Amino acid sequence: MDDNQISLGVEQEEISDSFICCVCLDLLYKPIVISCGHVSCFWCVHRSMSSLGQSQCPLCRHEYNYFPTICQMLHFLLLKKYPVAYKRRELQILEEEKRSGCFSPQLDAHGCSSQASQDLHIQNNGTAGPKQTHGGDYEGIGNVTDEEKNSVLNTDSRSGDWISVADVICAACKQLLFHPVVLNCGHVYCESCIVKPDEQMLRCNVCQSSHPSGFPKVCLVLGHFLEEQFPKEYALRRAAVQLKQADSKHENPNACATKADTQRKKLSSWSDPVHIRFGCDSCGMFPIIGDRYNCLDCFEKKGFDLCSHCYNTNSKLPGRFNQQHTPEHRFKLVRKDSIRNQLKLVIGDLDDISLALIIASISSEGTISPDAQEDAENRSAAHAPSTSSGDEQDESLSSD
Amino acid sequence: MTKPAGSLAGMLTMTKPSAGSLASRSTWVSTTSVSSSGKRIQREMVELNLDPPPGCCAGPKGDNLYNWVATIIGPPGTPYQGGIYFLDITFPCDYPFKPPKVVFKTRIYHCNVDSAGNVSLEILKDSWSPALTITKVLQALQSIFTKPDPYNPLVPGIAHLYLQDEAKHAELAAEWTLRFAK
Repeated sequence: MDDNQISLGVEQEEISDSFICCVCLDLLYKPIVISCGHVSCFWCVHRSMSSLGQSQCPLCRHEYNYFPTICQMLHFLLLKKYPVAYKRRELQILEEEKRSGCFSPQLDAHGCSSQASQDLHIQNNGTAGPKQTHGGDYEGIGNVTDEEKNSVLNTDSRSGDWISVADVICAACKQLLFHPVVLNCGHVYCESCIVKPDEQMLRCNVCQSSHPSGFPKVCLVLGHFLEEQFPKEYALRRAAVQLKQADSKHENPNACATKADTQRKKLSSWSDPVHIRFGCDSCGMFPIIGDRYNCLDCFEKKGFDLCSHCYNTNSKLPGRFNQQHTPEHRFKLVRKDSIRNQLKLVIGDLDDISLALIIASISSEGTISPDAQEDAENRSAAHAPSTSSGDEQDESLSSD
Repeated sequence: MTKPAGSLAGMLTMTKPSAGSLASRSTWVSTTSVSSSGKRIQREMVELNLDPPPGCCAGPKGDNLYNWVATIIGPPGTPYQGGIYFLDITFPCDYPFKPPKVVFKTRIYHCNVDSAGNVSLEILKDSWSPALTITKVLQALQSIFTKPDPYNPLVPGIAHLYLQDEAKHAELAAEWTLRFAK
């Protein structure tokens, strides 16, 4: 049945190569745009990130530290363009998520896209809906009546036309995106609409969250798609932007490697306390560097953690893995682990000499405080019983 | 187990799998489900069958999708010309986030392939990226046939000869091709 479904999807919708994820080689699902402008699926990006330090873009090896949020605009765009294939991907990923017990965030249509996706819903009910009800045995593509086939074909031929300029507008200028860039929070702007603050990190005007990874590069996949889809409008926007730039002699955005970049470099050094394997559910920093705040009330497998910066500011977005976190939840501060202990944990089987060498090189930088080790020991002692009880909890949940 | 100090990052990546097993309840590290790696391998297989790179072919050995056998034909204009080289490719269960393992089954006189068939190729180690495919790996292997990398050798003796006396190296390589790969 699975195979039939796949072939059915392929038959109906010719998926453009640019919307194929480079990691899973399938249609992008819940796409994430890395700050180098390359796109991959939510889980593909998450799994290709390194839990120990800098992660690299699978395509260009651009280094980054922050797990970006799903680009909702691209998500709804793909849902509209390839309704059947996207639905198939959704079912497939949901199946995998159920098996692993970790879920990706649910995306609800809102704002400008709500009306459009409601239309889509109606369309789905009209065409894909009835097919899915007797979809249990897919053996008969031939069983599908001509009428249904036609309606499916109709949706296909129209699928591209559904996408209107209103679906792909810049969050700042509210016009068709020109040279779209996607921030860490998943919001999309024209490259020319982003104003670079001199001192601080780039900040999103919509959600006020910061964009920590320097100036984002244009997402070419989205840009080329828009140019193809709306050639006239895109040309107009190009002319308008060029005119504006000629007027105000815009500084070259790429030239400003800002404080944010230097801060990132500083954070990535090995002398900082690193919470290996833990990511911040607000800004996406992975692994967390510095203090970590762990939610005591989130029972999900992934847990809920915040870096100290996100804990101290009040922008607490929902978790990255669909945790049911609420502002009332209590937090526990997890003290810095000394890097020495972490090294022991990670390279336990390394011989003593190399370990001593590593430790010597680290402590010469003067980062290991004498009480850090004690902290870590206390923590591990406190942690041991909670881990086992946590497992029990998980089991009891899954049996429900 | 000792690795030359200096590449701390490399050392840590090497031991990463063991870190996963120590994972406590709440971590961000996820495991790749077998089905998603299987799907990806299946897709690569279809793609490879549709558009195989010249001089290469690859496919599953038997029922197991994770064990492949590949052949590379010695590229013309090299001492390996006309030889047929068999390789075993083993996919890890968290493919494509970990590189596949490639072993030469046919003996070859090459400074980057040792007598057990292990290959030293950067993209199969630290430089692996999940966006690379078997097609690209095969192409990279073909390129070390035409251009051996004597500066990262597995067999220093052959690398030395290649740098000192390329004609002699070519002669020996051609002899091995005749003996083992035809």
